[in-house]
Amino acid sequence: MIRRIGRRELIGGGAAAASLLVLPGKAPAQGGAKPLAGVNLNVSCWSAAYPKYLADYIPEFEKQTGAKVTYDTPSFPVYNQRMDVELSTGGSTYDVINVTFIYSGRWIGAGWVTPLDDFIKNPKKTPADWGGDDFLEGVAGQLRDKQGRLCGIPWIADIFMAGTTHNEIVQKLGGMPDTLDGLEAMLKKAGKMPEMAGFIAENHYGWTFISFLMSYGGMVFRNPPDDLTPVLDTPEAIAAADYYGNLLRTYGPDGVLSYVYDQVVQMLKQGKALYSTNNQMFLVQMAGKDSKVAETCGFSMFPAGPKGRRPQVATHGWGIPAGSKQKDAAWEFIKWAMSKQMTERMFKEKNYSSVARRSVIEGPDFKKALTLNGFDVGKMYVDTIELAGKGYMKYRTVPVYPQVDREIDAAIQAIVSQQKSAKEAMQTAQANSLEQLKRAGVKL
Amino acid sequence: MASLSISAAAPARSRPRRRRAWRRVAVQVFAVLLLIVTLAPLLWMVQMSFHPSTDVLSLSLVHPTFENYRALWTGRFPASFGNSMIASSVSTLLALVVGAPAAYSLSRWRFRARHKVALWILATRMAPPIAFTIPYFLAYRYLHLFDTVTGLIVIYLTFNLPLVIWTMSTFFDSVPRSLEEAAWTDGCDVWQAFFRITLPLSVPGLAATTILCFILSWNDFFFALILTRTSAMTAPVAIVNFMQYEGWEWGKIAAAGTLVMLPVVAFTFVVRAYLIHGLMAGGVKE
Amino acid sequence: MAAGSLSTGWEAHRGRAFALGLAPALVVLAVTTLVPAIYLIVTSLTPLNPVNPGTAFDFSRPWGNYVSALTDARFLHSLWVQAQLSVVTVMMQLLVGLGLALLLDLPSRLIGALRTGFLLPMVLPPIVVAVIWKVLFTPDVSPLHHTLAAIGLPVHSLITSGGTALWAIAFADSWEWFPFTMLMLLAALQMVPREPIEAATIDGAGSLQMFWYVRLPYIRQALVVTAIFRLIDSIKAFPLIYILTDGGPARATEVTNYFAFVQTFNFSYWGYGSAIATLMVAGALILSLVVSRLGTDHGVVEH
Repeated sequence: MIRRIGRRELIGGGAAAASLLVLPGKAPAQGGAKPLAGVNLNVSCWSAAYPKYLADYIPEFEKQTGAKVTYDTPSFPVYNQRMDVELSTGGSTYDVINVTFIYSGRWIGAGWVTPLDDFIKNPKKTPADWGGDDFLEGVAGQLRDKQGRLCGIPWIADIFMAGTTHNEIVQKLGGMPDTLDGLEAMLKKAGKMPEMAGFIAENHYGWTFISFLMSYGGMVFRNPPDDLTPVLDTPEAIAAADYYGNLLRTYGPDGVLSYVYDQVVQMLKQGKALYSTNNQMFLVQMAGKDSKVAETCGFSMFPAGPKGRRPQVATHGWGIPAGSKQKDAAWEFIKWAMSKQMTERMFKEKNYSSVARRSVIEGPDFKKALTLNGFDVGKMYVDTIELAGKGYMKYRTVPVYPQVDREIDAAIQAIVSQQKSAKEAMQTAQANSLEQLKRAGVKL
Repeated sequence: MASLSISAAAPARSRPRRRRAWRRVAVQVFAVLLLIVTLAPLLWMVQMSFHPSTDVLSLSLVHPTFENYRALWTGRFPASFGNSMIASSVSTLLALVVGAPAAYSLSRWRFRARHKVALWILATRMAPPIAFTIPYFLAYRYLHLFDTVTGLIVIYLTFNLPLVIWTMSTFFDSVPRSLEEAAWTDGCDVWQAFFRITLPLSVPGLAATTILCFILSWNDFFFALILTRTSAMTAPVAIVNFMQYEGWEWGKIAAAGTLVMLPVVAFTFVVRAYLIHGLMAGGVKE
Repeated sequence: MAAGSLSTGWEAHRGRAFALGLAPALVVLAVTTLVPAIYLIVTSLTPLNPVNPGTAFDFSRPWGNYVSALTDARFLHSLWVQAQLSVVTVMMQLLVGLGLALLLDLPSRLIGALRTGFLLPMVLPPIVVAVIWKVLFTPDVSPLHHTLAAIGLPVHSLITSGGTALWAIAFADSWEWFPFTMLMLLAALQMVPREPIEAATIDGAGSLQMFWYVRLPYIRQALVVTAIFRLIDSIKAFPLIYILTDGGPARATEVTNYFAFVQTFNFSYWGYGSAIATLMVAGALILSLVVSRLGTDHGVVEH
């Protein structure tokens, strides 16, 4: 099983490079030679739960391969801003990066990340049983380029759902709401609670608002990816913005506009908000050991709006920048991090369940692990992914989405801070988005 | 050059002494109270840094802990501290070596384009940093200076060098020319006279300028934010990274802030007279 | 100027020597500031955007960025935000700085030490200032908010409300920079000659009259120069906005500098960002000209 993975760019890779990476997490290489000795890999992701868990395993990778991993995890907006500049100018600072979901269309579309098929399908680089086709196509599809080549290996299939910190209170109010109207009625009934806000959401509205927008029958673009005319000023979009803005303003905590995801998670774990529409990845942390609401939290699918139920699915994947000078070594890292064994270990040892590998999701332990306080979160997960496979997620494969995302942020901020009515705010967002697309050179 | 007397002796005044004395005491008491109120936000952050747990609202003085600092010191923070130290001191040194002779020339030599040079230097000091970051970013990509301490040293020259020239020439202006002229007649050439006579007489000014340059470089956030990533990250940028990474652990954020401000606060108190000198002469830049 | 007794040969030699001393600095300055400035202007004439290859040398519409800036509502809005922030902070800093300078214009060892204390906000790293105010403006960890709530005057989060966010930033900015105006005005006050003050005291002038008729005329120029310095530096406001509001809510605090930053480093409109930056440099240059006219030859506080 000895084979050479060293390329010229693997400085000091050594001639006796071995195939230890075939069995990740297992014994070191035969012969003791470390194939990536002397290689310094620069890896970066935004600071989600998963990359924090992975950090605990990286020393194993370093020990097995001899590579030194510099691991950088800034916050979501900082990560995206830096990586976008990095990629757009062809930088070679990073070897392994996170292909962020709102940017995937832009980065992959521009050819800034390396298609990985050559690595996955080459038996010299990847053993056949690694399982390149094991990933849910519903999420992997978002990381493919126009030729259908996979440009990122999804480390997460995250769904948008709903959760409460205190199911006993929610039960008294009629149970987890199944519709958006029901949600508002419940929050109204709950009224002012001491030391607890009714509703909380992260301030990245270009993500958290979209399920509301679409449940009201609104859209971001008219018909992505073919017709990218923004449609943010339709009556449906305005109604959705009005509803969501009111939710945040009336039931959110003081200063709700400044809450980033980390603060939202902290707040939920401490039981300082009753209800949140949020990512599964964040909500399940309420059931974690360090949470004050582990015994009382509850979950449901995202409530349905007047035009149906539109929970989103997000994916992030590990990718290799086009400018990286150590692509083979970078692939070794991705291959190791995303192997079946590592995915399973993280699921078992870290309770990390937002995985994209079908073999794990369909495995016997998944359902058990995702039954939290009697709620079958595993089923909500599978159902949501199935729903989202129906095509309404296409808006995110659009290269200009990042710009529009910021406009949506600004619109919701304007509504919540009462600078503009929902109508004015969405009309401004529409006008600005058109301007942005024009500057980006999009033909409408 | 305006010299701000920190503790000038009170000139004897005759008039109703008692009333005046009372007023003096009142003014001083008021000033002390005002200072406490003004610095309260800063003091609050410092006390937060000694706070053990999540309940950051209570005062930490009861059970102070160094846990936040220990946690910081085991992470990547020390490396960024080192980067800041190297970038700030080397850039300051370079600016002094290149800038001091230029300041002297500008102070002594009445040439035709003198006014234009002075304006250029002033304009450089005034230009918004974003104007530099755009071309520097693009150029550093090609020159492989991106995310390097060398790259930071060079861009810090864009404000340090004008500052040295600007500030030092005011200091040189205040050194009497007759001394150099005497040296010239004794056979010294221009630069011998500069190094033997003028420079030694300007040591306080030199010290003030050095401190000012160091503080400005140390305080830089914008350039380092744009031009560094991991290997050359400076301490101010590390705070931000860290702030968002650790999930808003305010105790640690406060500890990082306290550490980053420590050198400049120390400078302020240890060499305050020089610092005030420098600030006055330089008309400080952000 | 050098004594006339020295020969013209010495004069020429001296000139060469001075030129030699000046040259290295000018070369370094040219490479580090002039070349980038030219590069900036050149990119501002292109639609440079790394997403679209080939835009780096596209000079087909050299004024395109400037024209679109004039019609870009976001840019024009950022100018308005900038103007509000600049005017308010400069006024606040002048008032507070002047007040403190008058208070501290007292020969005493204690006051001397206090002056140094008052300087602190200015020398702190701006990012630390931003962290300090982030704590104070975040309701759930802010001692300020809790104290106000405890005495029955609860205040809503200031940095997330459209009506107050900019003023919260202005307040923090004034806290950071009042020491500068205080220092400059203190120096100017100490330059006021003794005689008119003593004469006025003998004539029985009150404090207010003393200030208005005796001191103010002497420090008027220092006031103007200080104001312009702060005005120029207020254009550079960044860390406070970056940490406290990120330009929000809904762009209520998006000043021109921040707008240029977002356009360039978030959306990769490098050409457009360069054009905005060029306009900002032009603005700073004009103000610098004013300073150099007002200040003496090349020292602001050379009296």
